Amino acid sequence: MKSSLVAQAVILAALALLPAAGEAIYFRDKISWRSAIAPSEMVTVEQAREFGSTAIWVDARPDEDFAKDHVRGAILLNEDRWNELLPQFLAAWAPGKKTVVYCSSLSCNASREVARRLRKEAQLSDVFVLEGGWEAWLKKK
Amino acid sequence: MAEEEMNKTPNTERQTSKVERLEPSTLGVGRSALDVKRFLWRILDFALAGIFIYAGALKAIDPVQFASDIDNYKLLPWPLSVAIAFYLPWLEIFCALGLVFRFLYRGALSILTASIVVFTLATIAAKVRGLDITCGCFGHASQHWSFPAHLLTNLAILAALVVLSFKATSRNRLQNAV
Repeated sequence: MKSSLVAQAVILAALALLPAAGEAIYFRDKISWRSAIAPSEMVTVEQAREFGSTAIWVDARPDEDFAKDHVRGAILLNEDRWNELLPQFLAAWAPGKKTVVYCSSLSCNASREVARRLRKEAQLSDVFVLEGGWEAWLKKK
Repeated sequence: MAEEEMNKTPNTERQTSKVERLEPSTLGVGRSALDVKRFLWRILDFALAGIFIYAGALKAIDPVQFASDIDNYKLLPWPLSVAIAFYLPWLEIFCALGLVFRFLYRGALSILTASIVVFTLATIAAKVRGLDITCGCFGHASQHWSFPAHLLTNLAILAALVVLSFKATSRNRLQNAV
């Protein structure tokens, strides 16, 4: 192929567009282009409180943060010690329960990751991420 | 007659025959040495292609996770992270196939080099900013890799790509010159 380096790169870039577009169509219901968390998977502090006794609070922050303070009754489940902590969460979980996962603030990702893994690996439904995390909880305490 | 034969022969083969004419006594040795060298270069092509096909496939299977990994860098707006999550894995796979089949070879090398440079810089930037994140380079498979492991892997891949790029460029120049 005698075409120039730039032409070759452009051809490859164009070729990759085709399957990418196909995949974007295939996954259109599984990912939102507007927000990292689908609106249906996010709850505000007020909405989470309305769950009442059906809610299980999951603290996805590091152990030290959990030890300092946490939502009353929250279960520690972070990615650092996932395998170790998951059994105690599963012991507390029951069908019909709604899981609310939080991390430190709006910008943290731990709650999103833990919620994703609970859905994917533990096959749980009704798993929500608390909007604003621990900071939002403190403000509205 | 000989000139006619030369015109029919591709550039690379013509180059070889020059070598043969220059060193007739070591013809057998020279050719086998060349073959071994060529074989080793191809092994490097295949090794890199394997890495990028593996990395691309892992990310293409789970674009939702990859979008999340890109978003963790806090460098791009979410819609762009999603677009890259759909696009980049396929670009890596196509470029890797380019290395395997030597199709659009130099273009493939340049794209892969650019992508690994960007990944490496983004990983360093994330570390400097104190973000404890997975690079997403190998999907969730690289989730528990340490920062030095990420960096060393990326730098090793980058070094191999740069070497292949130089080789491809010099061969291209040689072909154009002959």
